[in-house]
Amino acid sequence: MLVALLTLLGAANGLLLVLLLWPHESASSANWLLQGCLSLGFGLGLFSVVFMLSRASAGQHLLAIDLAAFALLLAGYLYKNKRGYPAVTVSHSSGEADPHWLVLVLRAAFAIALLAALYSAILRAITHPHGDGWDAFAIWNLHARFLFRGGEHWRDGFTPLIPWSHPDYPLLLPAVISHFWTALGRENQLVPTMVGLVFTFSTVGILFSSLAHLRGQTSATLAGLVLLATPFFIEQGTAQYADVPLSFFILATIVLTCLCEKSSAVGPHRGLLVLAGISCGFGAWTKNEGLLFLLAIFAAWLLIFVIAPSRSIDSNTPSQHEENARPASISFVLILAGVAPFLLLIAWFKHSIGAPNELFAAIAFHKLLDASRYLVILKWYGKDFLRFGDWSLIPGTLLLAGIYFASPNKHMRPTNFASRACHIALAMTLAGYFLIYLITPYDLYWHLRFSLNRLFLQLWPAVIFLFFLENPAFDSSVPGEKPVSR
Amino acid sequence: MIQAHILGRSRPDDVAQRSDLRFARLKAALPQQGVVGYVGDAGESGVAPYYLAQYALAPLVLDRSPNHPFVVGNFSSSTAATAFENLRVLKDFGDGVLLFAGEDQP
Repeated sequence: MLVALLTLLGAANGLLLVLLLWPHESASSANWLLQGCLSLGFGLGLFSVVFMLSRASAGQHLLAIDLAAFALLLAGYLYKNKRGYPAVTVSHSSGEADPHWLVLVLRAAFAIALLAALYSAILRAITHPHGDGWDAFAIWNLHARFLFRGGEHWRDGFTPLIPWSHPDYPLLLPAVISHFWTALGRENQLVPTMVGLVFTFSTVGILFSSLAHLRGQTSATLAGLVLLATPFFIEQGTAQYADVPLSFFILATIVLTCLCEKSSAVGPHRGLLVLAGISCGFGAWTKNEGLLFLLAIFAAWLLIFVIAPSRSIDSNTPSQHEENARPASISFVLILAGVAPFLLLIAWFKHSIGAPNELFAAIAFHKLLDASRYLVILKWYGKDFLRFGDWSLIPGTLLLAGIYFASPNKHMRPTNFASRACHIALAMTLAGYFLIYLITPYDLYWHLRFSLNRLFLQLWPAVIFLFFLENPAFDSSVPGEKPVSR
Repeated sequence: MIQAHILGRSRPDDVAQRSDLRFARLKAALPQQGVVGYVGDAGESGVAPYYLAQYALAPLVLDRSPNHPFVVGNFSSSTAATAFENLRVLKDFGDGVLLFAGEDQP
């Protein structure tokens, strides 16, 4: 009962945060689903921040801090509504042109895939109450236990005396779990299980609802099917690892950035950019790879909007360049505003525990000159491109590539600044992973074998989103083009 | 019905859960916080048991060294525990779980 009430409080905090920064626009079912799914992940993220603030201040009244956060967000939301911003028009998808039978078949397939994924996830959660795999008990749940059982001595657990427990790893997941345990007064393995399920199916929800909002039901259903038919995604979602939560925040960041570009108004829609920054910050607070993604999104944003706006899509004249550059700079600042509190939190945490990152403790730059390492990593990138999802028949990546090459119009359309920046950010993140493998102090084969598939999985929902957002084959609104029925 | 079907099909068989049960009695005999020593099976086969013991005994920190006043022993069999000369067995909890006192320690 208490778990349910706490979950409601967390979801309410997340919803208020989302609504506080969401533009006023006409409600649609896809919009509600999108806001709801974002709220669940953001609510859990807020729980982790509140918990760490309480630990840092040796506070004993966790529930009181939760309620204070709720009151603050509610006051902000009511104030925003009282001011009454003008309504923003977000361009929705055009009406569906697909035949009725196709829509029905796709919906039925999606429903079956969703039920099968839910069934499989619940079975796995029951079979592995402490998670499935080394990292679950040696890193994430171990850190949760130190945060909960350690009380004011929680820092004891983040010591180099416990090798391989990665004391420098960010604490979103352990802190969420520990928040629930502290409020309950006892450990309950239902908590990490539920957290995993929430992140897994909210990621599917964000993917589906954002595409339904931007591109229509057909694209949304197909995208959802591709993700649900990735067995590794469901396996990892219930393994009590942090990779699926990170994939949630990466996807949310990209969706919110793209959604912002679709808003026609100048002012209030900028709240979406702050939300994107918050999501990016939550990602960095989830895993160190989230920090890499944060750097990548900022670098891409700088490249596209500030340094080289003249090469951007809609800038054809010098005056347009200036017009684009100014709001781009403001947008950059807005994203930064969302990210900044998390950078402070992460800096405090890393300074507080003082454990160096094992990957960068002794960087061997000479490895950068070893051509054989490049070949090995490229080979593994190629192999895992086809197998990271644990697909039994057709790899999802191959399926998307096949759809792309079979499309009558192969030209993917980065429809705006934001989606182009997101493409570059994902590519930079992949390149960043590559660089880390080049200089890794661990055995290269071992490191690739036990991590590359999870790194690919972190980006997979975002890749599916961008593919279905920009592939003209799925655009019902392009005149003269018949939507592809697959 | 669905719940009964699911529970019937899947039996929790969790290594971490079993480990928690295995170390429950030892945990009650140890201090609640701080650092204690740890000895176990040598080689690769001793790595996973160390992490499972650490998971079960948190927030105590297990230092993989016998140089502590209290040392946790975690072995696949109790006979393997006799190899440590400077450790005195305080209590054998069975199933390869022991509590040692470091004899050279104050």
